Amino acid sequence: MKSKSVTAKQERWGWLFLIPATLLICIMSFYPIIQAFLTSFKTGSSANMKWASPIIYNYSRMFSDKLFIRSVVNTFFYLIVQVPIMLILAILLAQLLNNRDLKFRGIFRTCVFLPCATALVSYSLIFKSLFATQGLINSILQALHITSQNINFLGTAGTAKMVIILALIWRWTGYNMVFYLAGLQGIEYSVYEAAKIDGANGWKTFWNITVPLLRPTIIMTFIMSINGTLQLFDESVNLTSGGPANSTITMSHYIYNNSFGQGVANFGYASAMSFFVFILVAILAIINLKVGDTRD
Amino acid sequence: MKKKLLSVMLVGAMVASLAACGGGSSSSGGAAPAGGESTVAAVTSGGEHTLTVSAWDHNFNIPALEAAAEDYKANVDPDFELVINEVSGSSDVETAITTGGSAGDYSQLTDIVLFQDHYIQRYVADYPDAWVPVEGADIDWSDFGEEKLSYSMIDGQHYGVPVDNGTAIFAYRIDLLEEAGYTLDDVTDCTWADWIKIGEDVFNKTGKYLLSMDGDGNDLPYMMLQAEGASQWKDGEPFITENETMVEIINVIVEAVQKNALYLANDWSDYTDQTIQGDMVAGVMNGNWIIPTIEQVAENSGKWEITNIPTLNGGGGYAANGGSSLYITSNCANVDLAKDFLAKTFGGSTATYDKALKDGGVITCCISAGQSEVYQEGVDYFNGQPIYTDIVAMGANVPVVEQSDYHYSCRSLIAAAIINVLQNGYSTEDALKEAEDQLRFEMGL
Amino acid sequence: MTEYKNRSMIQRRLIPSYIFLTIVSFISVFPLYWMITAATNKSVDVARGKIVFGSYLMENWARLNQLQDLGGAMKNSFVYALVQTILALFICSLAGFGFELYHDKKKDFLFGVLLMAMMVPGVATMIPLFKMMSKLGFLNTVWGFMLPGISTPFLIMMFRQNSRNFPIDIMEAARIDGLSEVQIFFQMYLPVMKATYAAAAVITFMNAWNAYLWPRVIMTDKKAQTMPMLIANLAAGYTVDYGVLMLGVLFCSIPTMIIFFVLQKQFTEGITGAVK
Repeated sequence: MKSKSVTAKQERWGWLFLIPATLLICIMSFYPIIQAFLTSFKTGSSANMKWASPIIYNYSRMFSDKLFIRSVVNTFFYLIVQVPIMLILAILLAQLLNNRDLKFRGIFRTCVFLPCATALVSYSLIFKSLFATQGLINSILQALHITSQNINFLGTAGTAKMVIILALIWRWTGYNMVFYLAGLQGIEYSVYEAAKIDGANGWKTFWNITVPLLRPTIIMTFIMSINGTLQLFDESVNLTSGGPANSTITMSHYIYNNSFGQGVANFGYASAMSFFVFILVAILAIINLKVGDTRD
Repeated sequence: MKKKLLSVMLVGAMVASLAACGGGSSSSGGAAPAGGESTVAAVTSGGEHTLTVSAWDHNFNIPALEAAAEDYKANVDPDFELVINEVSGSSDVETAITTGGSAGDYSQLTDIVLFQDHYIQRYVADYPDAWVPVEGADIDWSDFGEEKLSYSMIDGQHYGVPVDNGTAIFAYRIDLLEEAGYTLDDVTDCTWADWIKIGEDVFNKTGKYLLSMDGDGNDLPYMMLQAEGASQWKDGEPFITENETMVEIINVIVEAVQKNALYLANDWSDYTDQTIQGDMVAGVMNGNWIIPTIEQVAENSGKWEITNIPTLNGGGGYAANGGSSLYITSNCANVDLAKDFLAKTFGGSTATYDKALKDGGVITCCISAGQSEVYQEGVDYFNGQPIYTDIVAMGANVPVVEQSDYHYSCRSLIAAAIINVLQNGYSTEDALKEAEDQLRFEMGL
Repeated sequence: MTEYKNRSMIQRRLIPSYIFLTIVSFISVFPLYWMITAATNKSVDVARGKIVFGSYLMENWARLNQLQDLGGAMKNSFVYALVQTILALFICSLAGFGFELYHDKKKDFLFGVLLMAMMVPGVATMIPLFKMMSKLGFLNTVWGFMLPGISTPFLIMMFRQNSRNFPIDIMEAARIDGLSEVQIFFQMYLPVMKATYAAAAVITFMNAWNAYLWPRVIMTDKKAQTMPMLIANLAAGYTVDYGVLMLGVLFCSIPTMIIFFVLQKQFTEGITGAVK
């Protein structure tokens, strides 16, 4: 319908609008990606890189690297557990905060959003202190007689992963909520009024109106979160340093360790692992778009 | 109001995007209307009396550099100026060299950089164009500990001038030892087996651990090995599962943890903040740079004293951990000035080292500078013990052991092995085997 | 009378919502409260988990200023983040507008291609980008800082998705009235999409303000350092002073919070505007 009414001149403008963004992405993303792809077939120090022999050396190395495989497993664990919880919580909060009858909406909204205004460095520090062996969480648990002795949250694999997931939810739920609020704003409020008159309760409205109408936004946040989680870095570095015994290390953290982190830079190998991540994210994003985008 | 905001943003956007479109090669100088003064010149300086240096830790290395600058200015060149470029850690300097090397452009480096001892050999080998040896500088090298110089000497040439001294100390809370019925003599020159018994008693009587360590980057096995004169390396390859001393040491660590003599913290900040500043321990063993952390707990002043490290068979052990030196980069325009500066300050100037000790707690590894009056003063926090002289003396006993560029990789893998034994039910042999395999993998062996 | 009754009934039904939101708000805000109290305490007390206000603020403030050029870093961060935000909003909204409202198969394909750029880990492109910036002489400049962050597939996608709610009929009407495509963008699209702009501005500004890895590589001169770099410097070394560090963190968090408070009004107005 749209295309019929667009003239050739308008059509040309349509393309012109895309030029600055496309050009910048080509120069700032695609060109470096191609460079990195070439690097993934090389070995040696960054000042003197040579073609690897065999040429797929870095790639074959990757799949026999136990630490890398562990980092992949860890990352997927975070992805599967954290992303759904966070997104559902975010939609729920957005839905509650979009209710005009609710008082103090501004205050609630601000509070929920505040965590993502804190710098990454600081929020990791905060969580580390809260969950420290002598930290506040342990004191509270003991005061409530839930536990009898201090739990070393960050020192045991299972609980350390849990702290990372909690921290991620704390930091990013408000962020995602902003998108849902911006999306909800595009939905005519009268739709809700009508639902209310029809006697639909909160949950019905949520599942039958909010979720379908927010679909584009949900797809977007989903892709964002998948992408963000697969590239998870700061939390692994700052909260647990990947430990104990590398049980919480993420893919990006391991890649970083191989390029900058541990003194011995191995750009070729790091680039190869980056490409593996790239392909993973691309596959997941394409599935997401195919499932979600019903317009065409 | 909102309209105004939006229109302001839009105008700004258009102006700036015009500049962006015209960007490219011609605009590096002029096209920064929004950036303004923040478009600063490169860090290098061409001045005849000015040097730039990159360093980290404003409580430690940076006061030492300031002390040196003041010394040089007062005693050699009144026009001298040292510009300190503070970075957030040793890895920033490493990254600058790695990225500079990949771009074939070291022009972003400062004239001098502080660099970690354990990595320098590899960085000189991989990025030979980034460095200038300090050969020809007027320094009496025999005045420095052999162990320290073994890092910064490459192919018989001196590349670095030492700043601090990584000699390990074992500091004990005398009051807590006494409470458990022991004295400092009992833990001096003792065996690790005796030490664990004492640790058990101390924990049972006082509720404090006799030692804590960062379980993530565990410094302990390395220091304990060095105190035995042993290494985790043999002929450039990992020497772990076949290394009986190593196996024995891991077993000691595991036993110490199980008997509550040793507490393994989750990571570095947990180690310093919770265990040391949080007053969980009756003893601290690490490089002497840990002293300022101990001193943070003001109420324990006068209750500490230091001694040497236990060994497997008794007799005092000596080790070193951490430490860095200053290196001249190829981007230095005035190498002669840099050499002269380093020689007349960290090369042995008492004025520099005395002030560095007072302001930053930096202890020299220059033997003659360590004999100054300032060094011989008793330290109140350590019950009046002249710890600085003692540390310099201990430094001379540290044995030289084989090192590797993969020092930190090895250390974190051994740390993981210890956790695997303690938490995941591995036997020492299996855990070490896994660590060795991964290490060999990382090294491409 | 009935209206009043109705209203109190609605409020009663909202009680679970209030409880839930209060709990969530508390959890969200508590760590920040802790951060603020930490800035007023001595390092040792912070490490031991003290959570009430102390009297050490002035000492921490003096030490912070003695150690770091707070004003300089604040100014750098502010300038970099502002320029990046303005440019990113303009370029990405233009693209989002083009992709959605001039939508056809070819543009969809191009969009799909651009989306790929979002998926490569930043670590991988850092070295090639550094080489590029170094050749262009952009090290230690606002250009080096922001050029990689201006055109992001993510922002384009956000504008494109939210443009689906843009009333296309009005656009037709405007064309009949003789408005050019550029005029449509500035006079119609921009005002209608202001809530999206506000959200995009908050997000871009925060990302730019909090950026750490890339600035650390490209801003090698201390004079060009940003707030997160300043914090990292404070957190460096063998002994960390937590009181001073948390004061730095507080300063680093204030601007992003203010930006959110300011633009929050745009949200509210946007929501209110949509009903009328």
